Amino acid sequence: MKLLSKLTLYITLSKLAIVLLFILLLPRLINDVAFQYTNYTLQEQKKEVLYEINKNGIDYYFQGDSSYGSYTLLKEEYISLEPAGRGITRDTIETSRRIVENDTLTYRVLIHEFEFRNKKYMLEIGKTIAAINQYNQPLQRVALYVLIALIALTLFIDLVYTRLLLRPLGIIINTRLVNRRFPFKEHLPLIKTTTKDFKYLDNSLIDLMNKIHEAFDKEREFTSNASHEMMTPISILQNKIENLMLDNDLNEELQEKIMGIMKTLNRLKSIVRSLLMISRIENDQYVKSERVNIKKLVEEVMNELEDRLEARGIRFRLSFSNDHILQHLNRDLLFQLIFNLVNNSIRYNKENGEISITGYLDPDKSYRLLIADTGVGIASKDLDTIFDRFKKSGPAEGEGYGLGLAIVKSIAQYHGMRIEVKSEYGKGSVFSIIFPKELIVKKTE
Amino acid sequence: MKVLIIEDERSMALEMSSFLKKASYLCDLAYSAKQARHMMEENPYNFILIDLGLPDLDGLQVLKEAKIICPDASYIILTARGDLEDRIKGLDLGADDYLPKPFSLLELQSRMQAISRRKSGLNDSVVPIGDFTIDLIKRLVFYEKNEIELSRKEFDLLSYMLLHKNRPLTRMQLSEHIWGNFSDDDGDSNFIDVHIKNIRKKLAFHASVEWLQTIRGIGYKIKI
Repeated sequence: MKLLSKLTLYITLSKLAIVLLFILLLPRLINDVAFQYTNYTLQEQKKEVLYEINKNGIDYYFQGDSSYGSYTLLKEEYISLEPAGRGITRDTIETSRRIVENDTLTYRVLIHEFEFRNKKYMLEIGKTIAAINQYNQPLQRVALYVLIALIALTLFIDLVYTRLLLRPLGIIINTRLVNRRFPFKEHLPLIKTTTKDFKYLDNSLIDLMNKIHEAFDKEREFTSNASHEMMTPISILQNKIENLMLDNDLNEELQEKIMGIMKTLNRLKSIVRSLLMISRIENDQYVKSERVNIKKLVEEVMNELEDRLEARGIRFRLSFSNDHILQHLNRDLLFQLIFNLVNNSIRYNKENGEISITGYLDPDKSYRLLIADTGVGIASKDLDTIFDRFKKSGPAEGEGYGLGLAIVKSIAQYHGMRIEVKSEYGKGSVFSIIFPKELIVKKTE
Repeated sequence: MKVLIIEDERSMALEMSSFLKKASYLCDLAYSAKQARHMMEENPYNFILIDLGLPDLDGLQVLKEAKIICPDASYIILTARGDLEDRIKGLDLGADDYLPKPFSLLELQSRMQAISRRKSGLNDSVVPIGDFTIDLIKRLVFYEKNEIELSRKEFDLLSYMLLHKNRPLTRMQLSEHIWGNFSDDDGDSNFIDVHIKNIRKKLAFHASVEWLQTIRGIGYKIKI
């Protein structure tokens, strides 16, 4: 999950949780406040009543009766005064029922015992629970609305701000990492942000990529320079040996020795030539603008290799689902790629073995060319390294130097193709070249 | 035939001239562009071989100048730089051929011969070999009036050996000629043997091919 999505989710959920908690707690809270406040009012009223009694005298209220009672019209509140009984009554505030004119109502009642002129009296002040709670519902509702409005507002602000805050990160990911390919050639401008962390991240990424690119460049330059430099001495050596071979005085023994030197030189030449080719590919020296009929190209390769097939008695089978045209390619390089793969499948084949080459359009719109042989196969431990330079795998009879597949890899990378290998040791290998759909010319064109 | 070799690697130039002298060319050597300019102004040349990596002037520039001084000469560019663009530029500037280093001297000679043949017309393009004749331009082989069908590579091999007749040619040299950069890493490729076997079979049907000799451990030779 992306950071922005995570944050959005977190912010939304946390606010939602707060709203829920509030909804659950609100009735209790308001009830509590209402009760506390009622208790307080009752106390205040008690003080006032006592003050009035002190001022007016108790008989002013009794007026000859043994008790006094007063209530409002709707019986929401009442005050009663009567002489206290024998027992001791404590001062309390309680919720209890009272019968007022045949109506039984629940009141919050304050009971207070006091002395006035050496006589004990009991004062009760009551307020109905209904009256106490009458504002609870609307209060709750208003509080809830206000809360929801506030939460919605902060949620909106949070989300907008988070989005703004994280935008540089998105840009970093999209421009620096997504779809970027080794060796990170193109230089990109720094990303504008005031967030220090992102600046640091961006700088570090750019630094790292530049370093990778530099290292790659150096390797490339070295390969190119070294192989060019080697070409001249190899050239001289080859010509000297050739002249030597033409010497008429040479006996057979000497001729064979010179032949041996020539062979070794040939190996050296072949290595340097391959390295040069790789470095040229890596230096973008090949133009990728040609269209190729893949079936015809494979036939050409087979034609070129006819004698090698014949020499080893190898049969081959070609099957193509259709004549597909590929584009944005360098024909010579593609020829070399297929040549190297087929050549390997001859070289590492068994005598009188078989090679089958199949080309078809994959359901995922890419084009696949499969080169399968009945050869010696590749041990699974070697599969990862066969495309590396100078790794020779397989019990080759001849002297291969592992550059054939390195060239294959470079050419494939250069064109954005993929190579897959499946192999069973002792039974054979299948090399698949996967051409992405951009390289396929659509039939209508 | 007079050849000017413009090459700053002296030993390389010497090997080329020693080889070409044996093939009856007259060779002059120039180790710098300046020296080459002098020589071109003094002497007429049939062939001028130019190395692109000269110390004092870029080879392509030398080619441009040389084309003015010696417009009739044939030009072959030799280079170890191997930039693909050089090849195109060189041919655009009027070079007749382009040979990347390292090259075989046999290859150099055969390219020179091909250029001569192209320029001089049909004069010496039909060559006898044993009881057969080979038309190097039309790429045909005859026994009396009968045409013998050879594959492209078989013909290439036969004509290359014929060009370098009486010289032992190694399998490597032959394979490099017919496959170029695609020649196999392992020098003693027996694929050449397959071709030779086929050539012999096709020709021997008509007449003796004793002139096509095998040299044990080395390769082949046409002895006439």
